[in-house]
Amino acid sequence: MLSIKNLQSGYDKMQILFGINLNIKPNDIVVIIGPNGAGKSTLLKSIFNLVNIYKGKIMLRNKNITKIPTHELIQLGVSFVPQGRQVFNSLTVRENLEMGAFLTSDKKMIEERMKEVLEHFPDLRKKLDDYAFNLSGGQQQMVAIGRALMQDPQLLLLDEPSLGLSPKIMKGLFKKIQEINDEGVTIIIVEQNAKQATKIADKIIVLEDGKIALTGGKKLLKDKRIQQIYLGGR
Amino acid sequence: MVSFEILPQLIINGLIAGSIYALAASGFSLVYYVIKFLHFAQGAILTVSAYIFFLFLNILGVHYILSAVLAIISALLTVWLMNWLVYRPLRKRSATGIVLLIASVALLMLSASLMQALFGSSTKVLNLSKSNITYTFGFLTITFIQISIIITAIVLFLLLWFILKKTRLGKSMRALADNKEVSQIVGINPEKIYFYTFLIAAFLGGVAGILIGLEQNLYPRMGIIIIIKGFISAVVGGITSVPGAIVGGLFIGLVENLGIWFLPSGYKDVISFTILLLFLLFRPQGIFGVKKRDDT
Repeated sequence: MLSIKNLQSGYDKMQILFGINLNIKPNDIVVIIGPNGAGKSTLLKSIFNLVNIYKGKIMLRNKNITKIPTHELIQLGVSFVPQGRQVFNSLTVRENLEMGAFLTSDKKMIEERMKEVLEHFPDLRKKLDDYAFNLSGGQQQMVAIGRALMQDPQLLLLDEPSLGLSPKIMKGLFKKIQEINDEGVTIIIVEQNAKQATKIADKIIVLEDGKIALTGGKKLLKDKRIQQIYLGGR
Repeated sequence: MVSFEILPQLIINGLIAGSIYALAASGFSLVYYVIKFLHFAQGAILTVSAYIFFLFLNILGVHYILSAVLAIISALLTVWLMNWLVYRPLRKRSATGIVLLIASVALLMLSASLMQALFGSSTKVLNLSKSNITYTFGFLTITFIQISIIITAIVLFLLLWFILKKTRLGKSMRALADNKEVSQIVGINPEKIYFYTFLIAAFLGGVAGILIGLEQNLYPRMGIIIIIKGFISAVVGGITSVPGAIVGGLFIGLVENLGIWFLPSGYKDVISFTILLLFLLFRPQGIFGVKKRDDT
């Protein structure tokens, strides 16, 4: 689905990632964990061409997407939910969702997708005409993910979706992510909250200082070091 | 204190001046809202449009409607050049708002000097037969040009509202104004929307230039004076709000002219700058602006 070769990227002169190699199979849930500043978000932003890429190659289904401008990536079936419940605050929930399908001019298709999104997030039904800034944190995150689903992506990138959400809402969120994955969407999640996220993971990647330190399946969680650093166990 | 009889006339004069300020402020504020920098060169657009209108109408003797169309086209071309030669290269280098502000002030000054070099420093009067038509209602006097200014301003503001609220372009402009990164993620090309935003602002500026030229005559520094008033209007109205800028313009126009009721007319600018300072001190978000609230 997605393969990354020797990716080196960062912000202007500040290099963050130093040679990332990665292969992601279709329909997997990949969870990227690691300490603050390891470059987790930068990795997702690199895929979306939102940072400076100095070297390396990012291939999506054998197509080189390294230099494709951000606004064209969504057409290739990749959607991105950036960190921090990023919604269009001054737009209504309905407008936010519609913006997700910005490149689709077929109104019928937009309506159908909105119906599907609202089936995932029924709480948003009553809020469609509310401005997004009036919503709770959990609802804003639903809008952000719903917006990403509007373009019917095959690959969904989520940057710390649980950030700032209560444990109960977080649990529901990861269940939703699993459901979305069941429909055939490949998912990459970057998470601080490793415990919850790794529960649904098919593959776990540990990032440290801009490099991949460890990769593996759920077995990785039994590793003592991982438990100590990322799962809070002792 | 002057008598009450002149009050209606002062209100009308205030509305006329206010419409002019609002026209100047609307394009300026639209650019600030979407592209996030203080586009003082909107004043240059006004000047260029006014002088090109003068060139075709009075020097070349072209029909006034065709002259107006050509003036507006020149306004659009001017902003296209500004964006292509100055703003876009600066944005590509991730220039800060301050750098863009300096560049826009430079463009504003350049336009004044260029017009002075091309047309001379003397004041130019636009000769349009219609500009002599005057209507009198009791104590009230209003010219055909002044009525046109108010009507044009209303029509343009409704059009601007329609574009922002109802069209796909407007939605992309609002989305981009709100969150650039997410806009790109959903497939909006910021450069394209920035360009259209500049064109809409230049259209507003082009029309304003013609009307201001007809109402107040032409001089090379006219754009500087008007855009400063436009800026004050935008700040007073709430700089991130386009309707705010329009209300701000009307407010400044009215207060300046009502002030003449008890102050000599030389105090007009004193009034508007005092209001600007009062707003900065006591209501920095302006009439319509919203105080930034914390995200978390």
